[in-house]
Parts: sequence; structure tokens; C-alpha cells
Amino acid sequence: MSPATALWTSILLGSCAQVFLKKGVSPQNTAGGASYMALLRSAWVWAWAACFLLATGLWMIAISKIEVSFAFPMLSLGYLVVPVLSIFFLREHVSRKRWTAIAVITLGALIIYRSA
Amino acid sequence: MGSLTKSDAIAGPALSLETPAHADQRLPWEWAALGSILLASCGHLLIKLGLVAAAHATAYPGLVERVLHYMMQPAVAAGLMIYGLGTLLWIMAVSRRNISFLYPLTALNYVLVSLGGKILFDEKISSGRWLGIAVVVAGVALMQLSATGEKA
Repeated sequence: MSPATALWTSILLGSCAQVFLKKGVSPQNTAGGASYMALLRSAWVWAWAACFLLATGLWMIAISKIEVSFAFPMLSLGYLVVPVLSIFFLREHVSRKRWTAIAVITLGALIIYRSA
Repeated sequence: MGSLTKSDAIAGPALSLETPAHADQRLPWEWAALGSILLASCGHLLIKLGLVAAAHATAYPGLVERVLHYMMQPAVAAGLMIYGLGTLLWIMAVSRRNISFLYPLTALNYVLVSLGGKILFDEKISSGRWLGIAVVVAGVALMQLSATGEKA
């Protein structure tokens, strides 16, 4: 796997992890209250852990070759990916003000990408 | 903590551990937040430092073997631990202040890690890249401003 592919995959999986965690800890998915045992029994929480570990591993592969001053600010793309995923998988509403902020962050990431 | 009073002696020693409200001895949130940001940035830079030392790891074909080899590097292990410590401090800070107030501060990491890349790894950061980083930081701040007054 190329370092660049590792970076993009890591960002995507890291964002998926957040959505899985939210699924895992939301009340309707933790039958019997939010006890630690209930969390351990949740497949969503395990999906979060798997994605988180994989994203961390891929992150290391990415920055073993890519400059940190490029790769690290690229993590801010999570601010775009998480809300997009949350609309589809969590039915969350994203306000216009928040979209404006997301657009600014994405523009920043784009500028960094273009100036690489 | 003062000497044991009569009521403390009756109630047992556990009570004497309680700190009066006017003498809060917990870590101030400013230090916790700043410490967590510094530790997170240092952690990432240490991980990179260890990965540079393990550059020959491309000899490992499998993804898992490669990552495990990386994690065996002392600097990488130290970096992960320091990052974990930063997370603990972050939890402390969050327990004292609103997350919507604290979260934009983490955007400082983008600046600190990039500066570290320039100083430690001789990365050439063009003015375009700095501009991009500044725009990202502004966007994160804007995100939090947009959250004030929202319920979700």
C-alpha cells in the first residue's frame, strides 16, 4: 500500500470509527443502560475499536514517508467526512452555519494539498 | 490539609481527604488543556521520529508485521504513551470546561506539529501550506462559533 493510499484510508476509517462509536453509545443501541458491559457487548463498539486500530496503523505507514506538515493538517478532512457520514448513518442534521465552517476547513485542506 | 478535628475523627479518615471548595487543588484547566495539546503534538512528532529510524521496515511485506515492527521502535512506543498521557490531561480539561470552548484549541496541534516537522525533519513548508493550515484553524474556530446556541 502506498503511503498516500494509507493516509486517505486512515482518514476515512478514523471518521467511520467516530460514527460507529456514536452508534454504539446511543441509548437505543445499548439495551439495558450504558454500562461498560453493555458497551463491550455492542458490535458497534467493536467496529469502532477495529477501525480505530486500523486507522492508527495506516497513519503510521503514511507518516513514515509523508511529511508531517502535510499529513497532519490533512486529518482535518475528518471535519468533512464525519458530518457527511452522520447524515447518512445517524440521520443527524447539519446546520448551514456548520456547513460554512466545514467548507472553510475543506478549503484549507485543499490549499495544503495543492501546495504540496 | 489542617489537623484532624473531632468530627473528622468520628466520621473516619476518608472525610479528611476532601478539599474545601475555596482551595481547589485540581490541575487548573488552562494547564490541563495546554499540556494535553503539547503532549499530543510531541507524541505525533516522536512517532514520526521513530518511524524515520525504522525506515528499513519496508522489508516487511505484510501490513500487520510492518505496523508491529513500527510499534516496537522505542520512540514510537514513547510517542504513543505520551499521546495517551495527553488524552488523560484532555479528559481532565474537558471535565472542567465546556468542550465547545476547549475544542478549537486543539487546532493548535496543526500548527505545532507542522512547526515540529520543519524543525526536526527539515520539512520545507511553503507559504501556501502555511496559508492552508491557517485557513483550517480558522475553519475549526468558526465551527465552534456556529455551535454556540445550537442544541445538538
